[in-house]
Amino acid sequence: MTDSAGRAGERRGPVSTSREASLLRRLVARDEQALVELVDLATPWMLGVAQSMLRDVDEAEEVVMEAFRTAWRNVSDVQHEGRGLMPYLLKVVRHRSIDRLRSRRRRQLKLARVATETAGHGTVPAVEPDEAGQPGWHVHRKVHEALRRLPDEQAAAVRLAYFEGLTQSEVAETLDIPLGTVKTRLRLAFVRLRTELSGLKDWVP
Amino acid sequence: MTAHDWFDEHLTEYAMRLLDDKDTATFEAHLSSCAGCRDEIERVERDLAWLPMGAEPAAPRPGLERRIVHGVLGGVPAHASRWWLPALLAAGLLLAVGGWWSGSRRVAAEEAELAAARAELAALQDTLSVIRGAGRVLQASVEMNGAHGGMLIFADERTHRWNVVVHGLPPAPPTGRYQFWFICEEGMVRGREVDMPGARPASFTTGMPTVPCTVKGAALSVEPMDATSGPPQGSMLAHLML
Repeated sequence: MTDSAGRAGERRGPVSTSREASLLRRLVARDEQALVELVDLATPWMLGVAQSMLRDVDEAEEVVMEAFRTAWRNVSDVQHEGRGLMPYLLKVVRHRSIDRLRSRRRRQLKLARVATETAGHGTVPAVEPDEAGQPGWHVHRKVHEALRRLPDEQAAAVRLAYFEGLTQSEVAETLDIPLGTVKTRLRLAFVRLRTELSGLKDWVP
Repeated sequence: MTAHDWFDEHLTEYAMRLLDDKDTATFEAHLSSCAGCRDEIERVERDLAWLPMGAEPAAPRPGLERRIVHGVLGGVPAHASRWWLPALLAAGLLLAVGGWWSGSRRVAAEEAELAAARAELAALQDTLSVIRGAGRVLQASVEMNGAHGGMLIFADERTHRWNVVVHGLPPAPPTGRYQFWFICEEGMVRGREVDMPGARPASFTTGMPTVPCTVKGAALSVEPMDATSGPPQGSMLAHLML
């Protein structure tokens, strides 16, 4: 037997804009099966964001749970904003993770760990296939391509600040560069990323 | 430089939550009176809405999705599905007459239980459909620290999904975790982490990798706790070729 990724993707059903809109409508109508479907689709990506920031599986799971609770409670607002379910969930997860990082004073521990990990590589890690059968790889690949096209020093600042949740001062300390340099690198990086990613509208090509 | 330039400069950092607490507070105070900044922040957020997808996805531990659904519906009592809404309303009316307080608490608890049962049922139906549709069953023996177990794969060739059962293994060592792999022509592709909580077998249903590859088999290994990406680094316990 030979299986291909493409066929598996078809079976699960692509997460197109129309499918997401349908999921959103069903969630607004309090359809619990829609919640089950959403949890199945979105959890690996939300968990990835929370784990990369918190480095703690239990805490990351709590954050993901909180995000789904928030979405379930505010699903009408999500519909009115018109930004899409997945971006909303990712935003909530990231913000909650940052809140936890800041409130639990784990920074010193994290800084030490990140400093060790940063030695030897200044770029965003290469993409490795990590999760089988999961819609969203198309977007993941596009985002990674955009990150890879950044100059190494900008990519390192984005990784630490955006994906690891460090403040700019902490990034400066970790990379041993002036705060102003960090700000400049991040500013240039985000201008470029906005240009490259603003066209992404859907979970599927 | 005008007073507003500082806000223009730091707008993206604010939108991305990169400012420290003091600058964040300054920015928030400004936002209440500046519609221009509010609009621009919305544009930045919209343009970079998918950026978090740059993080590597993480395989949920077995049962997490069910716990999430249960937690969401249990934490905030879920409304009933529409087909039994009239029954619920009638029940609510009766309860209001007969003792609304204790009755409403019971309904909320039952709703949460029903939602959890539905999620459980959906998961079971999904698993059963793969097992019943399996065109092939593959088995490999696994030995770990003197314990003899095995890995079974029910391969549904119609839907290209597998139900994987791992049994007879002790819990993973404190410094490692069990990892399921797809053996592809192009190399090893990471599947799900396998949680062995105790004596019970672990099972999960998986689709094929969505990265382009041709699947030739599967493997199970014990990986170091911090090896969350890349090729296998730990001890290989079992190989199964299709």
